[in-house]
Amino acid sequence: MSESQIRKRPDHILGNVLVEADKAVLNVINTRGKSAISRRNIQQETKLPMNIVAKCVKKLTDLLLIKEIKHGRIYHYIATENSPSNTVTGGGCYPDDKKEFINQVKDICLKIVKELKVTTADGVYNVFIKEHKLTKVELSRQQISEILGVMVLENLIIEVKSTGYGEYRSVPVGDVCYRCHEGNVNHGSDVGAMSSIPCGVCPRIRECTPDGLVSPSACVYFTKWLEF
Amino acid sequence: MTINDKTTGITTSSPPPNALQLTLLIHCLICSTDMASSSPHGIKLAVHLLSAYFGDIVSKVGECLLNKGTLSLAQVIRFTELTKQKVTNSLLVLIQHNCVQAFAIQQPGGFGEPPKIVTQYMALHNNIIHHMRFPKFLSMLPSDFDEDCKKIIEGLLQHGRLSLNQVRDRHKGKHKALVTSEGNGNATNMLHENFNRLAQARFIERCPAHEPFLERPEEGAKKRVAKSKLADVTQTLEARALAAAAPMESQRFLVEADTWSNGALDDDSKKSPTKEVVGEKRKQDSLEPETETWATNKNKEVLWRVNFEEFVLRLRHKSCVSHVTTRVDSAAGIVLSAIFAASRKDETKVKAENTVPLLLQTIFDEAMNSEEGRSLTIERVRASLVQLGCELPTIGIDETYSVDLKKIIDQAQAQEVESIVLKKYGREAYRIFRLLSERERFFETDKISATTFVEKKDALKILFQLWKDDLLHMERIGNESQKTEILLWKLNKRSVWEQVLDDMYHAALNLKLRILYEFEQAKDPEKQAMLVKKWKVLEASLMILDDAIMLFHDF
Ligand code: SF4
Repeated sequence: MSESQIRKRPDHILGNVLVEADKAVLNVINTRGKSAISRRNIQQETKLPMNIVAKCVKKLTDLLLIKEIKHGRIYHYIATENSPSNTVTGGGCYPDDKKEFINQVKDICLKIVKELKVTTADGVYNVFIKEHKLTKVELSRQQISEILGVMVLENLIIEVKSTGYGEYRSVPVGDVCYRCHEGNVNHGSDVGAMSSIPCGVCPRIRECTPDGLVSPSACVYFTKWLEF
Repeated sequence: MTINDKTTGITTSSPPPNALQLTLLIHCLICSTDMASSSPHGIKLAVHLLSAYFGDIVSKVGECLLNKGTLSLAQVIRFTELTKQKVTNSLLVLIQHNCVQAFAIQQPGGFGEPPKIVTQYMALHNNIIHHMRFPKFLSMLPSDFDEDCKKIIEGLLQHGRLSLNQVRDRHKGKHKALVTSEGNGNATNMLHENFNRLAQARFIERCPAHEPFLERPEEGAKKRVAKSKLADVTQTLEARALAAAAPMESQRFLVEADTWSNGALDDDSKKSPTKEVVGEKRKQDSLEPETETWATNKNKEVLWRVNFEEFVLRLRHKSCVSHVTTRVDSAAGIVLSAIFAASRKDETKVKAENTVPLLLQTIFDEAMNSEEGRSLTIERVRASLVQLGCELPTIGIDETYSVDLKKIIDQAQAQEVESIVLKKYGREAYRIFRLLSERERFFETDKISATTFVEKKDALKILFQLWKDDLLHMERIGNESQKTEILLWKLNKRSVWEQVLDDMYHAALNLKLRILYEFEQAKDPEKQAMLVKKWKVLEASLMILDDAIMLFHDF
């Protein structure tokens, strides 16, 4: 059943399915609009016992009337028709084409880090805020931080602790900051001695012996590699 | 398991490990002395090199020592099933070429017999592997050492060990035109000077003692050792043998005037410790007996050899400079070069973790001596030192700096392994691997997926693949009542790095074998045109790969 079908479902039909408690919980969630609410807050507002709130939430989720969003270690709930706001999702929610979107953000972050030479996650975030609409989706501070983390893992930028000296003057000593590689770094691609020869990345290296079925003299990878 | 290599005629056999082998393996993990490598393919490569340079019989003896560890002559004969003569000759060749070290120990005699002295032989794996690096070593000789110096090094590399008189013989043979009495004197003086310079720069050294005698450990100490790890016994014995054989530091580079014989050439050559004709390349399988005992002792001539340590040290410097130049910038490379140049005299340990502490002014002055460093200001040098990880001293006067070399080497090693992961498993695996490699602790699958932005199911697939290929360690934590299971992943750098090094030795051996195969194929005239091209690619790749092997093993 699609979400649009659920949304179109007349309220009187739901009335037969939902008990008073369910309705109260759904009401509280609906009044929050685009902000999500935790179980504890639902319990405080409806004054229902926690176990009843849990049951209602489960039922409403199963009926696709509400959505569950994990924020940190706590689950929050939001009406299905309301897309979650970024303050709720923190770093967890991205548009459906997440990969494409993140790649775009990474490109922008890289440009910002290059421009600023040395900057903190906040520094990058501030540029996003100042230069509005760098992306269609508004990003949170945490999301920017996470994306910078991934860029470090991809070796696009490096994470360093500020020395407070020279280029790091603007960042307090010991604070984590980001910078681009100054040297001629190839971001991990064909720079390795092993990765540039067939045996270095060969899936059959364990079976390869001088006189075995798989051997350097009979090796097709070598033959292909040595074709000029 | 027996492997017959048709292309090279090598027969490599790897019997099930015995206690001694296990001891060696444990030992090699805990100490870094120049003994048999713990890497199975490191041994195979060494055996291949021995076979290529000295023939199959010598390589069989070498293989026996590499695989089984330190042995006596009788044991080598028993294991190799070769005649005593052949084994003795092979051992002489291996000793002459610095691939084996002998030492004597006292062993208890049989029933009622007095204790006897037994000579033991240990293979020097590192030195065997160095044989494929000779062209690289030669290219590392600084430009202020001229062609004649290069010739001396070449001679020593080719013959393993030579006395000064033998070096002179070689020189005379090559400069026959100068053998007039005056010209002879000049050339001799020149040669002496060059020899001295090479020794002062530590490129050549006196050979270690042929067969140092090792005292038996004290009874009490023996009991303590027996209780401790078995590995310690080997460590003590072989490390002690190397230490006992090494010449005293004050003697190691000392070229004494009296070792320079002015006697007639012919007489000298008769005294020569080897029957090999100096100046001619040793032919494979030329295993004529040299002498009954070690001849060099009889003639009392000091033998010299190339000091591999110095070349390895300089290659380490080169590798560090090249790494910081690409990773940081060229100024950092210049500054690090200047540090190495300024501390050359004080740096003797190959694997020093930090550079010798130097004053900022000293580093600056040294940088100014180089063409590229002249454009640097003292402020820029200081900034480069900070980029290299040095902390700024709180007090500005007499500021000294020491660069963390271990960190640079670690980074270079990590970069090599990561590039393999990237090429073999893709960009997402690269992110996951870097996460686990940078923080060596257990990570939950969910956490890995969230931090690296890799979908959980893809992350799991990658993690299992890396685990299957022994790159990761996995632990399952189950909760029976809730029927849940959490997977935890961790990278054990030490074992992965060892695995990578073994793969590198394997790849180097494969490159060597492929070169031989290509040469065989080129007998067909149609294929000869391609041979040079292929050979160049294979040789260049082997040299680059060897840099990486040194990065993991020697630096
Ligand atoms: S020789 Fe060929 S099959 Fe063997 S490890 Fe190398 S690439 Fe793989």
